[in-house]
Amino acid sequence: MNSQIFHPFVLPFVLGMAFVLTYCLVGLIRVISQLPKDDRKKFWRSLVTPKTAWANIRDLFGDCLFHVKIWKRNPVLGYMHTAIAFGWFMIIVIGHVMLFTLKPLQGVEVERLQGMFTNFYYPIFFKYFAEETPVFAFLMDFFLLMIISGILIAVVKKIHSKIVGVKRVMHFGFADSLIRFALWTIFPFRLIAEKTNIMAFWWLYSIDLLIFMCMLPFTRYMHIPTEALFILLRHAGIKVTEPRKGYVLAELYSCPSCGLCIDACPMSVNDKMSGNTSAYFMKKLRNKDTEESQRIAETCLMCGKCVKICPLSIESCDIKFSQRASIPYNINSDHSYLNVISTEAEKSSKVLYFAGCMTQLTPKIMRAMKQIMEKAGEDYQFMDENGVICCGRPMMLSGKTAEAKAMVEKNTELIKKSGATKLVLSCPICYKVFKEEYHLEGIEIQHHTQYIDELVKTGKLKVSKGDVNYVYHDPCELGRAFEIYDEPREVLENVGNLRKAKSEKEISICCGGSLGSFTLTQQERDEITANSVNDLMFNNPDEIVTACPLCLKTFARKSPVKVKDIAEVVSEKI
Amino acid sequence: MDFGFCLSPSSHVKMDSVDLTTFNRLKEINPDVNTCIACGSCTATCTAGNFTEMSFRRMLLMLQRGKEDEAKKMIQRCMLCGKCTLVCPRGINIRKILLDITR
Amino acid sequence: MKENILIIGGGAAGMEAATQLQKMGLTPIIIEKSETLGGHIAQWDRLFPAFHPAKDVVDKMLDQVKDVKTYLNTEVVDIQKDNNGFHAVLSNNEKIDAKAVILATGFDIFKAERKQEYGYGIYNNVMTSVELEKFFRTGKDERINNPKKIGFVHCVGARDVKVCNTYCSKVCCTTALKQACEIKEVFPDAEVYTFYMDLRMFGPGYEDLYLKTQKDFDVKCVRGRVCEVSEDMDGKLVIKAEDTLFGKPLKMTLDVLVLMCAMEKNKSIDAIQQKLGVANNNDGFMQNSDMYLGMNNTAQDGVFVAGACTAPKSLPDTIGEARSVATQVYNYINR
Repeated sequence: MNSQIFHPFVLPFVLGMAFVLTYCLVGLIRVISQLPKDDRKKFWRSLVTPKTAWANIRDLFGDCLFHVKIWKRNPVLGYMHTAIAFGWFMIIVIGHVMLFTLKPLQGVEVERLQGMFTNFYYPIFFKYFAEETPVFAFLMDFFLLMIISGILIAVVKKIHSKIVGVKRVMHFGFADSLIRFALWTIFPFRLIAEKTNIMAFWWLYSIDLLIFMCMLPFTRYMHIPTEALFILLRHAGIKVTEPRKGYVLAELYSCPSCGLCIDACPMSVNDKMSGNTSAYFMKKLRNKDTEESQRIAETCLMCGKCVKICPLSIESCDIKFSQRASIPYNINSDHSYLNVISTEAEKSSKVLYFAGCMTQLTPKIMRAMKQIMEKAGEDYQFMDENGVICCGRPMMLSGKTAEAKAMVEKNTELIKKSGATKLVLSCPICYKVFKEEYHLEGIEIQHHTQYIDELVKTGKLKVSKGDVNYVYHDPCELGRAFEIYDEPREVLENVGNLRKAKSEKEISICCGGSLGSFTLTQQERDEITANSVNDLMFNNPDEIVTACPLCLKTFARKSPVKVKDIAEVVSEKI
Repeated sequence: MDFGFCLSPSSHVKMDSVDLTTFNRLKEINPDVNTCIACGSCTATCTAGNFTEMSFRRMLLMLQRGKEDEAKKMIQRCMLCGKCTLVCPRGINIRKILLDITR
Repeated sequence: MKENILIIGGGAAGMEAATQLQKMGLTPIIIEKSETLGGHIAQWDRLFPAFHPAKDVVDKMLDQVKDVKTYLNTEVVDIQKDNNGFHAVLSNNEKIDAKAVILATGFDIFKAERKQEYGYGIYNNVMTSVELEKFFRTGKDERINNPKKIGFVHCVGARDVKVCNTYCSKVCCTTALKQACEIKEVFPDAEVYTFYMDLRMFGPGYEDLYLKTQKDFDVKCVRGRVCEVSEDMDGKLVIKAEDTLFGKPLKMTLDVLVLMCAMEKNKSIDAIQQKLGVANNNDGFMQNSDMYLGMNNTAQDGVFVAGACTAPKSLPDTIGEARSVATQVYNYINR
């Protein structure tokens, strides 16, 4: 039995704890001070606003401790994370609560034990210093075992990730492997120490903690403290502005490199391309590997699936955008020629149809839309039948928001002059920019999937039901960006049978043709397309239906069945 | 002997003295630039080409014939819409090359 | 020596190979999936470069194979090889044993719908070269109503990574010029334009044909690839291309647009080809063992190839290959 309340073996731990706390404090000040002034104000205000405060509490528990989002995707991984995070958290909490109920060991004076609080000194290793009370003893053991069960899963995952349903895992360097080893051994050491009370294990336990905490800031485990700050900042409504500063710094360090986005990423069709996934991007940017992070930023398809699937909803696409914007292209865009275009509308009509650049290359969509609008007796006008001005989105995709303005302004002028009350678009790429960047007060903006759905629902358009089996592909900029999932499916159910793809809606796989990527080669894109087509063919549909001219063209290269736009499918059934 | 032909400036492209630095740098990042067959698809489909002289095909030639300034001026018209990339029969990643010219 | 030689495909290559093998004393057996022999060439009106009637050539070939055992409307559904040779099962359940197999399965025409921007199947007045040839043969096509302006687009489905065909289809350039002349013969007042990337006049008499189209028929060749086709209010076609020699994009209204569709590998044979162990080359056609001395041989002993199943070929090319495959098979049997 020990008759002391101090033993030198706690020193390594205390040292590590002091280091990590100091580091986090400095980091916190750095992040907050780098925030733009308005954002900082927003942040302080959000902390006291009841609504955001409640969201903060909910997500701090839900995301940091219980990992709710991982549970949804993969319960085994969910348990693994919860077991370690929540288990550890509970051990700390219970340990501290237990301080009040300590039963002193033989030879230790009660006064001295209670004095611990006033002396700013916490005994962390209770079993060494004091005997646990039965209930707490049980709880401590329970959570310790819970953590160890989580670690067991982690070990299995490391040895053979497919057993826990993970195809590709991240590859880590030496530092990450060492700290992981430290983490894995902390709790087994403690278990052995508590059960055997062999001094050497108490030392190992403490040194393990020292290693873990000293390495924490320089490895992915930094996500543990940073996550909390990131959740607060996110709820404050702060947006990504510049790469590797302030808010982005918090995002970078919050990324746990869990690798869920690797399997999700459409590029993960082979080992080489899986290195282009967000997890690696975040890691490279964190490590200030500018060249690599820029390369990945330019390669990314910007489909947004990694953001949707991320347990922390880290906005990796936004960070990539800001990274792109920092690349020194000196195009010096000059779009003054747009001024010569006459804005005098020939006639005015209620509905204005804007096909977009890409749709010019898929005349079937344009013809189908004309047929639909005519059949429905709509008072419409075709804005870009004889030439088009780009919507501006591709320019923005290259990180050039300011340069896109000329196009946005001209199109706005043209649309407003037309006197239309509704703008119908065929291209989701356009749809996104019209929704987000254009100020078209009083004009309803619809993608043709929504428009057709409305025409069918209001009875303006009569369609007949056939017996073709369709599968619907969600274009990234319609689905994930605006959650337009139901309208196209309802339309398709009206004209035929809808079959399910393997991955649908928010986890649908990008067709591979996205304008988001600047550097993918045709061959690489083809591999992505083939994988996406396979996913769509899961239930052997007769036809693949999509709602984006680019997806249409891309799939047509690789699909074993006919690929059609939803407008085309509907126009066949009126 | 000089028969007076050197008095007026020649209209020839001086292939012996063309500065290919930009083109060669471009070629290093995008070996595709050599595969253009000058079919004109990019020019014909160009959204900016509806209103201006924008022509990617000619821009590549300009860079190879010592008219870098003209090429850089042409890029300013580009809206980066990507139609050219979509129609190129040789699969040249035109959007990327356009950006790289000025990088 | 009356060894059976199985010839899959009854087009020009298949018929000519059969003719030669029969003369060598072997027993060729032709399996043809359609209801007549002759293949694509039987659908043709006249042949380039000298406007020779296709029927003339086809009739002679048919006459030569009249004694050859031929199965029409029949396909090979299964084939096995053992030490005694090949054992094929036909779609009529008949079984055939043969010492060697010649794949003379030819090509398919690129499906023009796949190049959506050209508007085939969308706009009424866009047609394929095959359909135009049919018009020359029958004189009937509702799309052709005394057209004033006609355009030809070269390389549709060829030299185009976007449709996964990077090869040159070899015969379309000459065919386009031939058809351009022919349409001028029918409608002398019409303006005829061809839009090309490169004019590949590689054979004897081809360049003369080119000269003829310019001198005698006033066909205008524009160097530029058509990239978009749309329809105006009157149902006329509006095409966009760059006149690359002039260096400016052009727009043009046409009454009829003819798409010179490329040759693609005939995929209906894929399953049997796989059973025989013959691979495809990068262009998707069948892989022969080498392009010079082994052009009729494949990686599999006893399996031979001839004609357009290995690459786009002109009729003289195909006939030449069919004759050479006969020699190869003869040597194989007598080895």
